[in-house]
Amino acid sequence: MSATGAVRRHHAGRRPLPLLLTSVAVLVSLVVLLPLVFLVVQAVQVGWAQLHALLFRGLTATLIWNTVSLLVVVTALCAVLGTSSAWFVERTDLPYRRLFAILVVIPLGIPDFVVSFGWRAIFPGIGGFWAAVLVMTLAVYPLVFLPVAASLRSADPAQEEVARSLGLGRLRTFWTVTVGQARSAIFGGCILVGLVVLAEFGAFEILGYQTLTTEIYNEFQVGFNEPAACALSLILVLLGAMLLASEGSVRGRGRVSRVGAGAASRARPARLGRGSPLVLAGMALLVVLALGVPVGAIVYLIVQGGNSTLPPASLFAATANTFGYSVAAGVVATMAALPIALLSVRFSRRRVMTLERSNMLVLAVPGLVIALSFTYVTEHLLQGDFYQTNPLMVLTYAIMFFPLAVVAVRAAVARSPVGLEEVAMSLGVRRRSVLSRVTLPLIGSGLAAAFALVFLETATELTATLVLHPTNVQTLATQFWAFESNGSYSQAAPYALVMVLIAAVPGYILGRWFDRQPERAAGAGVPLAAPAPGTLVAA
Amino acid sequence: MKDLSVTGVTKAFGPQDVLRGVDLAVPHGSFTAILGASGSGKTTLLRIVAGFERPDEGEVRLGDEVVDDAGHRFVPCQHRRIGYVPQEGALFPHLSVGRNVAFGLGRGPSRKERVDELLELVGLSGFRRRYPHQLSGGQQQRVALARALAIEPDIVLLDEPFASLDAALRASVRADVLDVLRLAGTTSILVTHDQDEALSMADQVAVLRHGVIAQLDTPAALYGHPEDPELARFLGESNVLEGEVRDEVALTALGPLDLGGWGGPAAGGRARVMVRPEQIALGEVVDGSVEGTVASYEYFGHDAVVRVRSGAEGLPELVVRVAGGVPPEPGRRVGLSVRGPVVAWPMEPAEPAGSPE
Repeated sequence: MSATGAVRRHHAGRRPLPLLLTSVAVLVSLVVLLPLVFLVVQAVQVGWAQLHALLFRGLTATLIWNTVSLLVVVTALCAVLGTSSAWFVERTDLPYRRLFAILVVIPLGIPDFVVSFGWRAIFPGIGGFWAAVLVMTLAVYPLVFLPVAASLRSADPAQEEVARSLGLGRLRTFWTVTVGQARSAIFGGCILVGLVVLAEFGAFEILGYQTLTTEIYNEFQVGFNEPAACALSLILVLLGAMLLASEGSVRGRGRVSRVGAGAASRARPARLGRGSPLVLAGMALLVVLALGVPVGAIVYLIVQGGNSTLPPASLFAATANTFGYSVAAGVVATMAALPIALLSVRFSRRRVMTLERSNMLVLAVPGLVIALSFTYVTEHLLQGDFYQTNPLMVLTYAIMFFPLAVVAVRAAVARSPVGLEEVAMSLGVRRRSVLSRVTLPLIGSGLAAAFALVFLETATELTATLVLHPTNVQTLATQFWAFESNGSYSQAAPYALVMVLIAAVPGYILGRWFDRQPERAAGAGVPLAAPAPGTLVAA
Repeated sequence: MKDLSVTGVTKAFGPQDVLRGVDLAVPHGSFTAILGASGSGKTTLLRIVAGFERPDEGEVRLGDEVVDDAGHRFVPCQHRRIGYVPQEGALFPHLSVGRNVAFGLGRGPSRKERVDELLELVGLSGFRRRYPHQLSGGQQQRVALARALAIEPDIVLLDEPFASLDAALRASVRADVLDVLRLAGTTSILVTHDQDEALSMADQVAVLRHGVIAQLDTPAALYGHPEDPELARFLGESNVLEGEVRDEVALTALGPLDLGGWGGPAAGGRARVMVRPEQIALGEVVDGSVEGTVASYEYFGHDAVVRVRSGAEGLPELVVRVAGGVPPEPGRRVGLSVRGPVVAWPMEPAEPAGSPE
């Protein structure tokens, strides 16, 4: 850190942004935003006249209605299901609640298209809107359950007791305090659910339900109609952006956490009393529907066996390929997230925050759209170079799941007290050494979580993989899809099973990591140091 | 071991001035406390000395070297040889006690001996393999001190290191830390908002108020002769009376009080006179003594604070500290007398004498 020159007042006392870290972070952000840029370039090339014709036709309205109505219903159901199950598991005397805490989360590791496949295998007749609602709700409600359970666990139960002492009834206390504490977690989870519904392709294709995403895929892969795919992609990205923007407006100004020191007391679980068997039955039903049906279907199909008209493929090779892609994407995304996370936590100024937020825009861009924009650029601007190559495949995964990596790494950096780094420097240790001896070991579990998240998502990714995988490289997802599309369910089932097993391991690691977070900090005897007043105000 | 000097240091966070021209000289080998209310900027000052923050203006010197001139000259924290003990100790949670202490040491062969030596110094031999979460708050604080001393710092900065300890533990950890620092013979600066801590530990106390050093003095001089009533109240309870100064004596409703040769306002001037609660003695009512009625008391065991109301004109409710014994019951008539010299400040024209606080 060298001197900044004699600019007075607001800037003289400020630490300058570290050059290397900042440059890397900016570079990473530019790469991450490439697909969006490409989409715009493509739209410009298509031209307004053609876009206009493509956008304003009856089909577009139908697709938007199909997508949005599904999104609304699924999100609402997930909010109710996720929040209530989180409350039952975290705050009541529900029997076997520790077991349920695990069982209820596992469906997150099962790809949505596998859930869909499982239901379809058992009930061949299902399809259409309500089938899509059922499958998606069962597949993604853990996205609400996880953050809500975490926030209920860390929220101070004393607030509920205070509310009761102030004369609020049981029900009003629940609404104002308990739900209030979990509010931002519920909304955050709902946004994720909405984004997943927007981006989903496989599950709806299996159920024969037409959304924007399935239509984009078919226009592009089947009809080779690039302009139409581009026009619909614009709508899809716009919807995603609206969802993302709504999060900021909902989050509000208040901070949902404990103010001040004082250890959180353990919550005394609410007693379910005579309602207990009913709730137990409900939770059991949830587990049967969300976990039992898809897993049971897969196992049944494998045991039953059958023949396929497709050439035999190697389960082992596909597993190895999926594993390779997932590891590569996990490493790339985590390493790329580190500079942005470090910069945004340690130098949280407006410009840095804007940089970090800009990366989150990718959340609004479904994997299919990313894949299409890369296809367009490699085809039209690079004469086919890079198209369907391993580096482009890994880059696509890394970009798709980059926001997840940033969030996980950022949380870990924010939890490692800046005071420790200052102490390290005061002991005469150089900045780079501090990174390797203090910061990285402290955020190690966060890096592992980021890696696990990206790994899990990559291992179960279908849509972008179908578009961009090298023709001679089959992954679990592509092979599954080939068999499934051919109607060879029994051949498809083993691939689904391996995907579920692969995803279960990082899922378990993640669950442990989220669980350990608050305890680790408290147990280490080093409280989550509040930022020094200086750092806070300077921000 | 070096002395520290801070000259004209200012610092603002956005629109808020935190430091507004701080001058401070800390002689080498001394123990200086920076005392201030929360939000007074004391931690910011310490962080500027440590090199974690940069001042907007002013200069920081360590020995002969300018380490920060708010411009081009800036010696980063890792080259200042400063031992920093933050609030809560901030031990590295992923490292054992031994590795925490050795953190700033090079990879020399004497590393292990040095760690043992330091742990012995802070009374924690045998704790080398433990982890921070296996230590009590006081032990963590002592490890943090050993870690800071490991690099043989020119100066040790302690940022409210005892604030997180419970009252029972605080006194003994304080004494331990003081012993260790004296033994090590380093220059030390302690930042605190606790008057008792500052007065009991330091050779000199600097009171930071509204972004400047309001007074820099020895603990006894500061407590006995604060430069204004606000400082007097900040350092402990005080009774402020109206009076008139004549021949080294202040004439007050409590009778003529000795100014002890400390000067004060010009003779004949109206003055505000401060009497510390422990300077007032309660006795039997005798002829000619000033009388009062006990209004209430708070009993602390080793002493008690008694509030006495007097009918005398210009005499507010008095706070009296009586050592040991059973304090007098409310309603009882007592005689009041004052021991030792008192302090007087000139009365500003429109200012009434303060009530006891």
